Amino acid sequence: MDNLEKKLTLWYNELKGENFPLVGKKNANLGEMLKADIPISPGFAITIHANDIFMQESGIKVELEQLIANQSKETTPENIVHLSEFAMAAIEKATMPEALEKHILRDYHRLCEICGVEDLPVAVRSSGAVSMPGQMETYLNIRGDRDLSDYIKKCWASSYCIEALTYRVNRDIGVLFNIGVGIPKMVNSKTSGVIFTNNPINGDPSKISIDASYGLGEAVVSGLVTPDSYLIDKITLDPVKIIRGSKEIECVYRTGSSDIVEKEVDEARRKVNSLSPEELRHLCITSKKIEKYYGKAYDIEFGIDADLKFPDNVIILQVRPESVWNKKKAENKKSEPTDAMSMILKQLINGVKFS
Amino acid sequence: MAKQFLDPHDVPAIEGTEGWERMYPYYYQFSTDDKERKEYESGQLWYYDGLHYPEPHTPFDLIWDEAWYLALSQYNSRIFMVPPAKGIDHRIVNGHVYITPIGIADPKEIEARIPLFMKRAGHYYENWDKIYDGWVEKTIELIEELEAVEFKNLPEMEDESVVFEHRGMGSGYDLGVQYDELINMGFKVWQYHFEMLNLGYAAYVTFINTANQFFPDIPMATLTKMVSGIDVVMYRPDSELIKLAKMALEFKLESKLDAQTSFASLQQELGTSDNGKKWLAAFEEARYPWFHISTGTGWFHHNRSWNDDLDVPLANIKMHIESLQAGKDPSRPTAKLIAERDRIVDEYMELFQNPDDKKAFQEALGIARKVFPYVENHLFYVEHWFHSVFWNKMRDLSRVLVDGGMIKEVEDIWYLNRADIKVLIDDMVRAWATGVVPAGRNKWPKEIEWRKGVMAKFREWTPPPALGVPPEVVTEPFSIVLWGVTTNVLKKWLTSLDTADGDITELHGSPGSSGIVEGKARVIKKVADLALLQAGEIMVAPTTSPSWAPAFTKIAGAVTDVGGPMCHAAIVCREYGLPTVVGTGNGTSVIKTGDLIRLDGDSGIVELLK
Repeated sequence: MDNLEKKLTLWYNELKGENFPLVGKKNANLGEMLKADIPISPGFAITIHANDIFMQESGIKVELEQLIANQSKETTPENIVHLSEFAMAAIEKATMPEALEKHILRDYHRLCEICGVEDLPVAVRSSGAVSMPGQMETYLNIRGDRDLSDYIKKCWASSYCIEALTYRVNRDIGVLFNIGVGIPKMVNSKTSGVIFTNNPINGDPSKISIDASYGLGEAVVSGLVTPDSYLIDKITLDPVKIIRGSKEIECVYRTGSSDIVEKEVDEARRKVNSLSPEELRHLCITSKKIEKYYGKAYDIEFGIDADLKFPDNVIILQVRPESVWNKKKAENKKSEPTDAMSMILKQLINGVKFS
Repeated sequence: MAKQFLDPHDVPAIEGTEGWERMYPYYYQFSTDDKERKEYESGQLWYYDGLHYPEPHTPFDLIWDEAWYLALSQYNSRIFMVPPAKGIDHRIVNGHVYITPIGIADPKEIEARIPLFMKRAGHYYENWDKIYDGWVEKTIELIEELEAVEFKNLPEMEDESVVFEHRGMGSGYDLGVQYDELINMGFKVWQYHFEMLNLGYAAYVTFINTANQFFPDIPMATLTKMVSGIDVVMYRPDSELIKLAKMALEFKLESKLDAQTSFASLQQELGTSDNGKKWLAAFEEARYPWFHISTGTGWFHHNRSWNDDLDVPLANIKMHIESLQAGKDPSRPTAKLIAERDRIVDEYMELFQNPDDKKAFQEALGIARKVFPYVENHLFYVEHWFHSVFWNKMRDLSRVLVDGGMIKEVEDIWYLNRADIKVLIDDMVRAWATGVVPAGRNKWPKEIEWRKGVMAKFREWTPPPALGVPPEVVTEPFSIVLWGVTTNVLKKWLTSLDTADGDITELHGSPGSSGIVEGKARVIKKVADLALLQAGEIMVAPTTSPSWAPAFTKIAGAVTDVGGPMCHAAIVCREYGLPTVVGTGNGTSVIKTGDLIRLDGDSGIVELLK
């Protein structure tokens, strides 16, 4: 484990949650999800140590330290603006140390190879060892060696943006701050959607509910389409109810850019389910793992990657606790008889009320 | 949509069948001159019992309906004092049986019955396993008694033992008594049949409903898996055939089996080798009692057993050999089923947050598991074993009647009801005693010919699924889980009154077993048609029988006219993982062999694609 600290990059599958001081929380959590057997988009982390090497070898670290030393003890907003402008410009302009760049690109090429796509589009995600929600940048749909290198620097630079600096200064975290960067493959979702590990309508914990539609998750999340809706028995994984949605529109990436466009779904595809039975089953197994791992009902975003083969194409994008029924659970129902004879009697008197 | 079905008194008579009523007991007729009874009949919902009777009754075959009419009803109404239930009333229309459950409306009366029910039914639930063991014992005893019955032709002269042993009775009297005893045994086995069945179903329904309360829409397949018996008697006949199939392969007899289509010729062929003899001995051993399984439901005289036609089990053995040769093991994967059952139960148990809920579920599951072996196994003892032997005893009697000149053919006896036969025997033995020709020797053959004509017309008639006035909500548990008669199904039936058969593109039934499948339909109306089934076809049948087991390894799905989620077809298909829709009402008449259909075992819908 010791030598992890000297690594410049670490693949997600080499990481676990406790490694966050090395790669930042977001990266470490992705590693932890893999440990829990939750399929995430393949990729690697550029370590905090790598950021440090960059800062040292480029000389920016020394320059920054001098700048801070020259500034008054009282940190003023003007000081922060000055620091931010200097650091960000210096980082973006600096040349990546050759050994480091080679190392990162070597891993990027390996990722391209794993996915079988040349100039694979990836995301460049900031990942701090301290949670600073939304303070630093993430760049989507980055492809090719040159862009990757540039956007990693942009990402590093973003830890010196005014918001991040202010946040750190206010909390005494320190001005100098190295971050980890995550390089996951962009998920090129042919189908995506949302999963609840219960039936969100009645809180039934024995079901898994899945809404799925073509393309990127935005179509389902923002309610652009009526998705296919699946209610699955959590224990046997048999479908209990399938309602096919109309799915007229799908969202896809604009080629060579990170924005999203809407496209019409042709008639034939609308009439079939957007998930194959295997994909459905795999998603259910994965959802059960997530619920079990975190110990409560979860709300999960997923994508089925068009570039990968089943089952590697089933990718979990995001997980968070389900909010409604987790809270309600504590409430007790009114007491009903719990001995067999009384239950049978009640049944006979009330009759069966199936539809 | 129509609000009610045809009034039972207004069902049009079929031309040329006038007078058909005399074929059946008078108490099976819808009333004409009793105003009070007529009003009651018009106000009830009567549904066609196609679950048991995919065809009209010949007069004698009505005996089992008479048997359960009495037995089921009395256990609810007078023995266990089921609080809200009296019996199930029966009528016959153009040879087809219609039934209606009778409830108790007065809350005070229901209240008063509760302590009685708790005490009486409670005794059965508490001692269930012990009572069940005793049940098997006494039922087998009764079957042995039945097997001992022997009908003989009336002698020219009585044996001298009648004289020297001072018997004091003659063969003419004996024949009448023997017949009475035979009929009484039939009624008795049906008394036994319902001794535990109503309570068994009540417990099972309670479990289904309890599970649905906690886990809405929990698939029936899951519930069956949770209670599924492992050592189920009904699977035994088929597992005997699998054993014989494996043995045939082990002894390398498969080509010989393949070459022979009849058991008789196979017997000759195998009798020449040691291994062949060993196999024949094993076959012979399996026959008693396991081949006393009917090729139909056991409810009709023409449902012959494997023992009646050994070519049927032989054909099944060959199907199993084919499976084995293709690398498929047709045996029930018992260990896997147990493991799966335990896993499912454990995982469901883990979902409970509230310990009271968990306890309620556990209790309901516990009692369902306790009753389930009876619910599944009684069929073998009564409908299969007893009935198969009984039909043949009736044939033995019939031979005596043919020889006595009363009727023409052995198979004519089914056209006489049990009271007709009693009178006919009385006539025959008196004529025998007197030494003259019997009065009825011209009457009965003529009557039988006429009745055959009536039956042919009855068979062409499509019985409406229901008559009378539907209740607002169906809550009667047996109607729902066995016959699949739910509020929604009644609505669908009412809607279909307005549609002609040819315009139907979609049929609605109950979800029987999960999954969606598309394929060619094969309409199977009788066991002989099973041979026509091609792999991957969807079987469309009035209902199914346990002896159809080998068919389920071939088909892609099943559709039945009748049945609820607990009927045999649904249970078996769930076990085989085949998508199934049960209780479509008229699947076998709307769907034709070769039609492309899509069935959805989760929604209970069958689409006719072309």
